[in-house]
Amino acid sequence: MSTTQSLTITETYQPTNQDELVETVRSCCDSNTPMYPLGGQTSLHYGMASKVEGVGLSTAELNKVIDFPARDMTVTVEAGITMSKLAETLAAERLRLPVDVPQSDVATLGGVVATNFNGPRRYGAGTVRDYVIGISAIDGTGTPFKGGGRVVKNVAGYDFCKLLTGSLGTLGVISQLTLKLNPIPSSFRILSCQPNSLDNAETLLADLVRSTVTPSAVELVTGSHWSTLLSGDADDLHLLVALEGTELETDWMAQQLSQQWRESGIRFIQDLTGDEAKSAWSELVEFPASESPLVVKASVRPSGVTKFIEAVQNTKCSCNIQAHAGNGVVIVSFDEFPAVGLSRMLLGAVQPAALALQGSLVVLSNPSGGEMTHQAAWGGNDIPFELMTSIKQQFDPNNLFNPGRYVYV
Amino acid sequence: MIATSHPGLVNGLRSIVGVDRVLSAHSDLLVYECDGFVIEKNCPDVVVFPDSAEDVSQIVKLCNDVGVPFLPRGAGTSLAGGCLPVGGGVMIVLTRMKEIVELNIRDRYAIVQPGVVNVWLTQALKGSGFHYAPDPSSQGACTIGGNVATNSGGPHTLKYGVTVNHVLGVEAVLADGRIVQIGGPSEDPVGLDLVGTIVGSEGTLAIVTKVWVRLTPNPQGYRTMLGIFESVEDATNSITDIIGAGIIPAALEMLDQGILVALEEAFKFGFPLDAEAILLIEVDGLEAGLDQQRDQIVELCNKCNAREVRQAATEAERQKLWKARKQAFGAIGRLSPSYCTQDGVVPRTQLPFMLKRIKEIAEKYDLKVVNVFHAGDGNLHPILLFDERDKSQVERVLSASGEILQQCLDLGGSVTGEHGIGVEKVAFMEKMFTQDDLAAMTRLRIAFNPENQLSPDKMLPTAGACGMESKHIEQKHPGRRAAM
Repeated sequence: MSTTQSLTITETYQPTNQDELVETVRSCCDSNTPMYPLGGQTSLHYGMASKVEGVGLSTAELNKVIDFPARDMTVTVEAGITMSKLAETLAAERLRLPVDVPQSDVATLGGVVATNFNGPRRYGAGTVRDYVIGISAIDGTGTPFKGGGRVVKNVAGYDFCKLLTGSLGTLGVISQLTLKLNPIPSSFRILSCQPNSLDNAETLLADLVRSTVTPSAVELVTGSHWSTLLSGDADDLHLLVALEGTELETDWMAQQLSQQWRESGIRFIQDLTGDEAKSAWSELVEFPASESPLVVKASVRPSGVTKFIEAVQNTKCSCNIQAHAGNGVVIVSFDEFPAVGLSRMLLGAVQPAALALQGSLVVLSNPSGGEMTHQAAWGGNDIPFELMTSIKQQFDPNNLFNPGRYVYV
Repeated sequence: MIATSHPGLVNGLRSIVGVDRVLSAHSDLLVYECDGFVIEKNCPDVVVFPDSAEDVSQIVKLCNDVGVPFLPRGAGTSLAGGCLPVGGGVMIVLTRMKEIVELNIRDRYAIVQPGVVNVWLTQALKGSGFHYAPDPSSQGACTIGGNVATNSGGPHTLKYGVTVNHVLGVEAVLADGRIVQIGGPSEDPVGLDLVGTIVGSEGTLAIVTKVWVRLTPNPQGYRTMLGIFESVEDATNSITDIIGAGIIPAALEMLDQGILVALEEAFKFGFPLDAEAILLIEVDGLEAGLDQQRDQIVELCNKCNAREVRQAATEAERQKLWKARKQAFGAIGRLSPSYCTQDGVVPRTQLPFMLKRIKEIAEKYDLKVVNVFHAGDGNLHPILLFDERDKSQVERVLSASGEILQQCLDLGGSVTGEHGIGVEKVAFMEKMFTQDDLAAMTRLRIAFNPENQLSPDKMLPTAGACGMESKHIEQKHPGRRAAM
């Protein structure tokens, strides 16, 4: 877990209510003091290292449930609520936000929205941006503003829910959120198998797209981390498919998928239910936070996942890989810092592979903080950085929120 | 007239797209004086039909050089005046950019040009096992570019979401003529979510020239039911009970007695005329789970005193039920010469109260109101019936509409669930948002559209920030407060 030590913070303010938060931001604006918004501090290594001294702005005490009309299937909460507290609150009404993040007992909803962090369930349930229907924030002049509302369908005004999701707290500190929710399905299980090659894995993945089975998650993993957990050798590939629904539905899907796999020549299929399924799921959710000197995330066309994995393996760097394969998202967690130099390795080999597949590559975590160029951290084809910078200037004209840490030029 | 004051403009446009793709004669322009919101009208000075993003870029650059406003238009089915050329100027009509560029089933996306009609994509996907989920009722006419601009919904949004949940990327021409690609076939584009910001911006931030949309697998099966209820309250209670039980129907539409009578007269579907409301309920998904869901829904409706729950036993019967819903608006002509549809949203549990209030408001203004709407997500479409030749009726309709929308806001809702703000509901923005919220929206517009030449005077009330002074500060026309 990362800590504030990775940021250039002199002291941290911890407002206890919304008014205090506004006051704190205002006084920082008045004194031109840079601010680093802090949630559960689990993703502070995402983004460029901070260089300018400033203050931490913690939402830890802004963690109240403001309104939970369960029958409307929405909830309004303060941004500092932890993901586990939120889940617990919602589960009491058999509801959930179907977004899974590591360290949910510490990670906050505000942080998850700010970093647009999404787990394996994104295949079946979409990403956090699909669930934020109302948002409040305080901009870089100390002015509170909001977008959206509290109803599930609403097209009034510009969609700040989208603009702020994934903005890394650079346009304002997120203070309050309204979410739409889903019911918790009654049954959950995971089927897994070991494709014998990357080509074989791609065949199985392509079959899944055309299958009548509707998985919640489609995960392809490889590396020593996984072989310890799932048995087999470090080079083995594991395909894990999560199924959710009523018992009738998951039973039918499990049977259907097993048959499909057997017809494709898969001999050994693991069918995980109950605690076994839960524990495998928790591994899939927690992986991006496991100890590593460098974690990167590629987003490519889903059909390019295996090609991208091959390109990473060709670098001969020791690493563990988790692909949300149905979505084309690949997380690579390196075992050691690349000897050739970080930026060079990324730019020379890994990033071009992602770009060639019409995708992008970003650095999720680089705890050393050193030696990383903008180009290495935010890799994509023709990204309109200038336009993003114009937006930043409108919301934070003095560049006080997370200065130098995001994509702006 | 801009065409006369800027003699080079028309010629310049002709040299970009060709002589036959520029309209400037008044009689030709009349078609473009309004969209589906017919209360406010204003002719553009010139209409131009580009073929490509490069055309659009050159047109935009020319407009900037000359200093005239410009705006995009699709099929013009917007119900809120989103493509009304408020101050005149150049209208860029994208209907000739109608190519489906790519269908990619393995990667579950399609690339379309903005002029592709929504239903064309569904047709092109027939047999593939996939479809494009957003299906607004106007899908036979509206374009995907227009859907992107307004973040269109439709009857299936309850389960499948609205347009923004299905757009992976766009190619767009910015207000200064630059062509950018944002997002694309891969998820999680780097940096700010500009795709999510542009979708639903009603053509005020950029002109979209290509769209990457997500394709959705067709459900394996459907169960379609028709619940017949003695009272509106029983019907709305069933809705909350069904969703409260953890069932998310693919569609959950309500029709009240007034609309049933009109439908029956027009099409003889065999609906009982003494029922106060019917619910059209459809669940879809894996066959394995559907019978169970259907039985549960029937039981819940019966618990809420349903007189009867009919089930579509065949695909033909299912299509008949849907036909009733989709033709509801067409049947209204039997009830009155003119009608006005609102688009308010309330939290789902407030539907019984809201429908009661609509009835009271209609009585107060001595108007007839009928309801047919997306009950599952609390999105109301009360239809106010009147005769536009009668001035007193027009005024009462406007007052009643305002009161209905205010009531939606008082219940924590919104004045628009899917039609947009356009020019119609600009006056309501100040009731939904604070001055600070609106100033933030204005700043976002300035970042994209600093000269405010791209579709000025839309969506936001008179903006306070510099560079955003409106030419039309006063909202003199009552039509800006209510749709017809």
